[in-house]
Amino acid sequence: MSSFSNQVITNDDEGGIKTYVMPTKVKDVVTISGSMIGGSIHCDKTNSKTAALVSSMLDKGTEKKDKYEISETLESVGAELSFSSTRYHTNFTGFCLKQDISIVVSLLAEQLMIPSFSSDELVTLQSRLCGNLERDKENTKKLAMIHFLRTLFPEGHPNYRETINDSIDLVSKITKEDLFNFHKKQYGPGSIKIAAVGDLSPEEFNKQIQSSMSGWKNKETTIPKAGEKARQPREGNETINVQDKTSADLYIGQAIGIDREHKDYYALMLGIYILGGNFSARLMQTVRDKQGLTYGIGSSIAGVSFGADGYWSIWGTFAPDIINKGIKATKEQINLWFNKGVTEAELSAKKTTIGGSYKVSMDSTAGLVAKILSNAEHGREISYLDEYPKIIESVSLSEVNGAIKKYVNPNKLYMVSAGTL
Amino acid sequence: MSQKNNNKFSGYDFVKESAGIEEYTLVKNSLRVLVLEDHSAPVATFMVTYHVGSRNEAIGYTGSTHLLEHLMFKGSRNFNKDKNTAIWTELQNIGAQINATTWNDRTNYFEVVPSEHLDKAIAIEADRMRHAFLKDEDRQPEMTVVRNEFERGENSPFDVLDKNIWATAYQAHPYHHSTIGWRSDIENVSTERLKSFYDTYYWPNNATVTVIGDFNKKKALASINKYFSEHPPSHEPIPPVYTDEPDQEGPRRIIVKRTGQTGIVGIAHKTPKGLDDDTYSIQVLGKILAEGKTSRLNKLIIDKGLATSIFMYDFPFLDSGLFISYAFLTPGTDHKKIEDIIIKEYKNILENGVSDAEIKRAQAQISATVAFSRDGTYAVASALNEAIAIGDWTFYTNFMENINKVTGASVKEVIKKYFSEDQSTTGWFIAKEPRV
Repeated sequence: MSSFSNQVITNDDEGGIKTYVMPTKVKDVVTISGSMIGGSIHCDKTNSKTAALVSSMLDKGTEKKDKYEISETLESVGAELSFSSTRYHTNFTGFCLKQDISIVVSLLAEQLMIPSFSSDELVTLQSRLCGNLERDKENTKKLAMIHFLRTLFPEGHPNYRETINDSIDLVSKITKEDLFNFHKKQYGPGSIKIAAVGDLSPEEFNKQIQSSMSGWKNKETTIPKAGEKARQPREGNETINVQDKTSADLYIGQAIGIDREHKDYYALMLGIYILGGNFSARLMQTVRDKQGLTYGIGSSIAGVSFGADGYWSIWGTFAPDIINKGIKATKEQINLWFNKGVTEAELSAKKTTIGGSYKVSMDSTAGLVAKILSNAEHGREISYLDEYPKIIESVSLSEVNGAIKKYVNPNKLYMVSAGTL
Repeated sequence: MSQKNNNKFSGYDFVKESAGIEEYTLVKNSLRVLVLEDHSAPVATFMVTYHVGSRNEAIGYTGSTHLLEHLMFKGSRNFNKDKNTAIWTELQNIGAQINATTWNDRTNYFEVVPSEHLDKAIAIEADRMRHAFLKDEDRQPEMTVVRNEFERGENSPFDVLDKNIWATAYQAHPYHHSTIGWRSDIENVSTERLKSFYDTYYWPNNATVTVIGDFNKKKALASINKYFSEHPPSHEPIPPVYTDEPDQEGPRRIIVKRTGQTGIVGIAHKTPKGLDDDTYSIQVLGKILAEGKTSRLNKLIIDKGLATSIFMYDFPFLDSGLFISYAFLTPGTDHKKIEDIIIKEYKNILENGVSDAEIKRAQAQISATVAFSRDGTYAVASALNEAIAIGDWTFYTNFMENINKVTGASVKEVIKKYFSEDQSTTGWFIAKEPRV
């Protein structure tokens, strides 16, 4: 198998934009995905939603084109270009046919560089976003997750979440000036990373990026270190009542106090994967397959990127009348896993799973682009993508079981359930 | 090597080729096999599509196709927990993506595997085609799993409204019930009924195998032959569905009220069978109405802040289906206002037609979607799966050519033919205030 190092062509232009281009044998199609530093963590302390509204307004018009002209340009060739934001980044993704790359890149540059932020469009967007947030009030999974994270992390921590009502309030308050100010402060080529995969030429793509974004003033911007740490884990149980729901959502977990760069990360990640990372993991094999208590249950580590101390959690769904049985069965598995550890056979199987999954994720341009961009955002060399399976392979059984003992405390798990309970 | 010689493989009859995809029949049992080599990535997708879905069910055993699909993972003669070769474990331990899905007209099982493991996927699917255990002791816990899947769906106001619209639009035809079935049928259907279902429909002559990706065609076909040839064709003919939906003789309405936050409007009209020539014009119409910011309903509804989102769907099915436009209302928006806007726009197209620019834009959008449906082995297999389900896999390979034949006149014609008020089913989801 050819390595990523051999196939991905990297380029670092004078303006600071880094590109990662991987031509593949797929015919005609190209997927482009990129990001720049500038997410909710970079917002003014009074309103963490500004970054999200700025990215959502990028397709609502530029100084040269209104939103219909932008859409017409894309839709006339069947291309798509969308923007979003996360805690740390503003992201963009484009899908197009190979002959239309220049159209997409040129529009991308225009939308990022000179958005118009029309007042009328802002009002319409706010109405839509608030409508979506109102709808979230009946989303049992979202409600359980928000309450779970608000308990684990204090305000100011990257993993903290606002309540839905707070979010509605924040979205409603944002003004056109807020949008311009954030754009002026945060948007620039200095931290832009773009991955492109498919039927394309790296040289041509880089030329198009350079010509479209030349003259854009560089901005030095970084991801600030998280100022707050997670709260000390404590045992707790919270129930959120939502009427007329036939299935309830459950979160159980705790903060782990480490980020993705910590030496114990891979060992802990593998331990949690063995507990509930896929269908053949313990939780699905017992709570679902053997006992029939849920359609889905799994465990994972999250919130560990860019220096943030993250958390591990289990998420599952249960009928309200059997949720207590589900909780009991889940806790039995946590205790068994914690007290007896995982076996060499389980670890070996999961290592093979991860190695194979790695190949399977190359099945599409979208899968490849996501992998390459995420690697670049974390500041890693392309060679890391080739080394990853070897890193996983090198983790020992004693390291995995040691990490479970060190970072998991079954006596201090926090649990939130939401539904008609 | 000439194309002719390249199609001769022991045990197979070559049937046809379209867009690089070759169709073969396994002579011994009439299993249909579709093959496309693609060495873009070290990955292969293996898929078995059974020509059975929820349209083959009736009252008392709705949801059986789906419940059976779940039981198919509980073990078979050679792949089971006792032998330490359980299907999920065998496949996930090599990093495969595996799953199965059930819909109106078909059930499919698939594995996306690192290409060196293709043989294992073939062996597993062949084994469970006729040797699945289907034990009652497995059905009992799996029933509650499926019931929770049903309950999760019921949590969503959209899912509930959509089910109600289908159930109102179709009265006799089995598209009346959703694929997951009615709750009481999920709970009470017997293992014997599921076994009977399996023994009626799970035969090589009622299945299509698709293999796409990084493999050697000769070796892959030899492997399929090796594993699947042990099965004879069905002893009885596969029973056809003969229930026709009676003509609809007036508009129908359904209202669902439940505690919630915001309303939803859905307006449905019956569409022709998926393989009907009108399907292509209806697909283009859907894009003109609701795809992208320049679409008509987007301008009339979203840009005015009346809804948070709109979308329409018209999935081509084996039998007549539904074209449904949905709008998710912003707080305070009146359901009737949205309904009137959508209906008025249908009438506008009926009277004034659509522009050439709209047709071209819709065709370009579909063209890109078709190109991306070739991005990856799973994407190809998945798109083929739906075409297989409606009765002709070349629906997928010829789709774009047929879309490009659509004209303004043909779009106007389908509005006239299928979008009359008397053929409509309108559904409202009304959010009730929480009880104190």
